[in-house]
Amino acid sequence: MPDTSRKLIQLCSALFFIILILSCNKPYLSSQATTPILQVFNWNNYIAAETIQRFEIFCNCHVEQDYYSDNEEMLAKLAAGATGYDLIIPTGNAVDTLIRQHVLIPLNKALLPNLKNILPVYLNTPFDPTNEYSVPYAYTLTLLGFNKNKIEELHLPTDTWAIIFEPEYLKKIKGRVTVLDSPRELMAAALLYLGYSANDQNEVHWNQAKELIIRAKPYWAAFSNTSYIREIAIGDLWVVHGYSNDLYQAAMDAKKTGRAFEIDYTIPTEGAVMSLDSMVLHKNGKNPDLAHQFINFMLDGINSAELTNMIGSGNPNLEAKQFIRPELMHNQAIFPDENTLSRLQMITDLNRKQRRILSRIWTEIKLR
Amino acid sequence: MILTSFRLPGEFGGLAPIYILPDKANADSGLTIETYQFFFSDFIYVEVFLKSFAVAIFTTIICITLAYPLALLIAHSPRKFRNLMIMLVVLPFASNFLIRIYAWMIILGPESALSHIINSALAFFDIAPVTLLFSPFAVLIAMIYVHLPFMILPLYTNLEKHDPLLLDAAQDLGANAWQRFWYVTWPQSLPGIFSGSALVFIPVLGMFAIPDILGGTGDIMIGNLIKDQFLGTRDWPFGSTLSIMLTLAVLSITGLFSWFARPTGKFA
Repeated sequence: MPDTSRKLIQLCSALFFIILILSCNKPYLSSQATTPILQVFNWNNYIAAETIQRFEIFCNCHVEQDYYSDNEEMLAKLAAGATGYDLIIPTGNAVDTLIRQHVLIPLNKALLPNLKNILPVYLNTPFDPTNEYSVPYAYTLTLLGFNKNKIEELHLPTDTWAIIFEPEYLKKIKGRVTVLDSPRELMAAALLYLGYSANDQNEVHWNQAKELIIRAKPYWAAFSNTSYIREIAIGDLWVVHGYSNDLYQAAMDAKKTGRAFEIDYTIPTEGAVMSLDSMVLHKNGKNPDLAHQFINFMLDGINSAELTNMIGSGNPNLEAKQFIRPELMHNQAIFPDENTLSRLQMITDLNRKQRRILSRIWTEIKLR
Repeated sequence: MILTSFRLPGEFGGLAPIYILPDKANADSGLTIETYQFFFSDFIYVEVFLKSFAVAIFTTIICITLAYPLALLIAHSPRKFRNLMIMLVVLPFASNFLIRIYAWMIILGPESALSHIINSALAFFDIAPVTLLFSPFAVLIAMIYVHLPFMILPLYTNLEKHDPLLLDAAQDLGANAWQRFWYVTWPQSLPGIFSGSALVFIPVLGMFAIPDILGGTGDIMIGNLIKDQFLGTRDWPFGSTLSIMLTLAVLSITGLFSWFARPTGKFA
């Protein structure tokens, strides 16, 4: 008996290792010899599968993607030694960090003729003033999402941050509100509501924002970064502080499942945060030429529009507009007019002292 | 970790370099006790610690009260059922921890059957409806649910070894059921309770996923705080300081426990 079981274990472990070895080597062995590989480090679900397929045919190469769900996660993985990525698509403040870390390579603009398609408003941003390293990819807005039917029924305003900060409104929707579990985003909303800049670094103003948040907190259900998408789509939540892509997704879900209510989202008049994601080249990448081709390919109107049509992201590409579905083009919360655009701000990185102070304020907010 | 806690955070996360021989340009050697000063400069960090300890103590006590009867039942049932029952206790481990937590999210959600039953019962007594999800209650429930097997298993192993003859002897000497439990079974099971408590108390103290997913706006624990320092704030030194304070607190508590649990000679 022990003899047979020992043999069985030996057989199993032998099988396990054979499978392990086979599965490790297969894709690399077969593709490396023939076609070049472009390694992309991207957000989850942030490029259409058809776009990738077309690019692979166009350049006779293979695109491999790894995913992250948070800029900090991406930075942490790079800091921990993840290498080999040709192209990364971080948000503005993370681009800033990567530039100051000296890990990006300057772009060769001669290889990017389609750069002319990008609207000038989205170029020369504070984090990369001459676009030496980065090319805009898509943007997301942080705004207010709400259950339209409920909010009309309760006669609440939807064009102001007051709805998530003022007890006078909040008492009608107590326990049906969530805000983002992100110190920077929530503080930005509070600072904007108080009439300051989203990037205000004055500690006195931070403390005012803290007081505002602590006063409103008892009415909120939770701090939530992802679960609010499902909860608002099924009707558990009525007002959320969230991202435009996610709220687009929630609105579509509610529509598809035939809910009795509609989900809408607006940019508050006080202003909001815009997160512009850009394509950058990492210096550890093996195929910078291929990466340039990819950037130029993605700057093409059709390819750029495909992403917007898929996830409802904002699009900085002028040529893409003709390929985007009209209902998306007319959505003010995805393509804001000039006037609204001037009230959008991008978040900049904080230094280590400020980060620690903000973290302390955040702990206090969570504790009270 | 101890070294890290004495260093300065790097501008991009990670750590600022240490200068072994500080030159003129860098009078700052990169080693500092500022994270510890920062920890004690404000009461809120101590408050987070106290709160986490309260949650851990509650969870442990409720786990003991729930696990004890069950462990006793398993230990006293016929041998052929015991393995089956132990398997049932361990069965939840077959599915992923996060999936089990998400399941609680559905069970406790405002539109769930449980919420409706509880709220209609409360409405009968004219009490305002309650929300179960995103509350300290939800956190406590999930903590107990996740850690209960860690209390049952050591208790069962302990109770199983008890000599039934002792109980018979106690009965012969005129002890009633309660006295038999309190003077015979309970003292013998103390080592099981202590090891079970350690297995529950310490993981609960460091847990961050449950408060993150099920907690409301005020449910922050040390685990969340430490996670934030590493992943959100990119402040490794302060995260290390918090971890060290947690380790020290746990060690001193374990010390106290083992001092209380030391053989006193009374029952040994």
